Amino acid sequence: MKKYALFLGCTVPVRAQHYELSARNTAKQLDIEFVDMNGASCCGFPIKAVDAETALLIAARNISIASKMGLNIVTLCNSCTAMLSDAQLELKNNRFYKKFKELGFTYPQEITVKHFVRMLYEDIGVEKLKKSVKVPLNNLKVISHYGCHYMRPSYLYGFDNPEVPHTFDELVNLTGAKSLQYTDKKMCCGGSVLGIDEGLAVTMANHKLNIAESNEADALISICPFCTVMYEDNQRKAEEKFNKQYNLPVLYYPQLLGLSFGLDKNAVGIRFNRVRPNLLLEKIGGQ
Amino acid sequence: MINLKNADPTFKWEIAKQEGGKQILKCFGCSDCAASCPVRYFDERYNPRKIIRLTLLGMKDQVLSSPFLWFCAHCHACTEHCPQGIPVAELINAIKNYAVENGYCPEGYKIQVELLQKMGRLYEVEDFDLKKRQKIGLPPVDKTIPEVAKILEKTGILNKVGK
Repeated sequence: MKKYALFLGCTVPVRAQHYELSARNTAKQLDIEFVDMNGASCCGFPIKAVDAETALLIAARNISIASKMGLNIVTLCNSCTAMLSDAQLELKNNRFYKKFKELGFTYPQEITVKHFVRMLYEDIGVEKLKKSVKVPLNNLKVISHYGCHYMRPSYLYGFDNPEVPHTFDELVNLTGAKSLQYTDKKMCCGGSVLGIDEGLAVTMANHKLNIAESNEADALISICPFCTVMYEDNQRKAEEKFNKQYNLPVLYYPQLLGLSFGLDKNAVGIRFNRVRPNLLLEKIGGQ
Repeated sequence: MINLKNADPTFKWEIAKQEGGKQILKCFGCSDCAASCPVRYFDERYNPRKIIRLTLLGMKDQVLSSPFLWFCAHCHACTEHCPQGIPVAELINAIKNYAVENGYCPEGYKIQVELLQKMGRLYEVEDFDLKKRQKIGLPPVDKTIPEVAKILEKTGILNKVGK
């Protein structure tokens, strides 16, 4: 059994419980044990723009908790992955160690930080995952959205190809669903500018919604709670602004994976999806 | 119009001292950052090359007071493209950090710092959320994490944003 410290961050536990639920339930199917991190806080990313050192220290404190547990971290949010990876690298380089120690934090054991999806790809592997697929989702074609901080910056991750990413497409394809090739695959969702200029953020989100529509995708598959905020929660705003009607379901990857494992729709929290994926469910066997 | 009489030649050195700002002096202005920027793709008011160029020229007030500085989504598309290997998103972040130190902090970020001081997280965990979590079989999460306030105190970020 593989064992990880599960880092939830701010958004997932209160705004994306279906992401958390489906991640935990698919992990169980794969013999993965998630241990909760008591006392874990915000990752620090949101205030990096205000003061990078503060953000790094907040992230490092979270790493300290997992380090004391002796476990590698698995994250669900792309930005949490970036911030924690950043701090992990700095801890290795002893860059801000003085303040880190003065605050009473320790780093007894070197640990790694991986996004849930990267963990599936690297630690479990496509072949093994494929063996767990009981209900191939053959009728579906979907748009896979990587989100910026899944593979960028490459100096931090050294994983996948930041220009032509492919790992997530492979993971989607193994469920039986077809991950479509499309232009602007690595385009940003706009989430990071939402608080600065909502109109611009919605315009950025609309771009990919539009691509999904023109490719007749059954859903957009997301691996980041903030990308989902842009594509699902703000879909109505994009529809109003651009006079469109998308009605595009946005599923978290573990929801899709869970359905292909034969998990019940409640076990992957489908009822919490804001855009009802009824048609999609019909297509994969009328659950 | 740029009037170099108003330039502050020390500005670029100040940025180079910031976390993530060191490599600004390597920039030769090729514009690959702007060409690869998804924000610029939709809104020409944001231009990372222009921000870096103005910084190198010493146009401190113009750079720090620009609302468009904050349009950077920190997506690192520029970082991947820069032929000089400059982590451009970190560089823009360094300029943002310096702007905050000089009194230019967008209201939204001030609120985020306050929320972190109060709760250690951005979204409040309400009893409703905890009940919902319990109902679907998810473990409880901490409502507040007071240790985060200690970090904010240690780095003096509250003073920086004027709180």
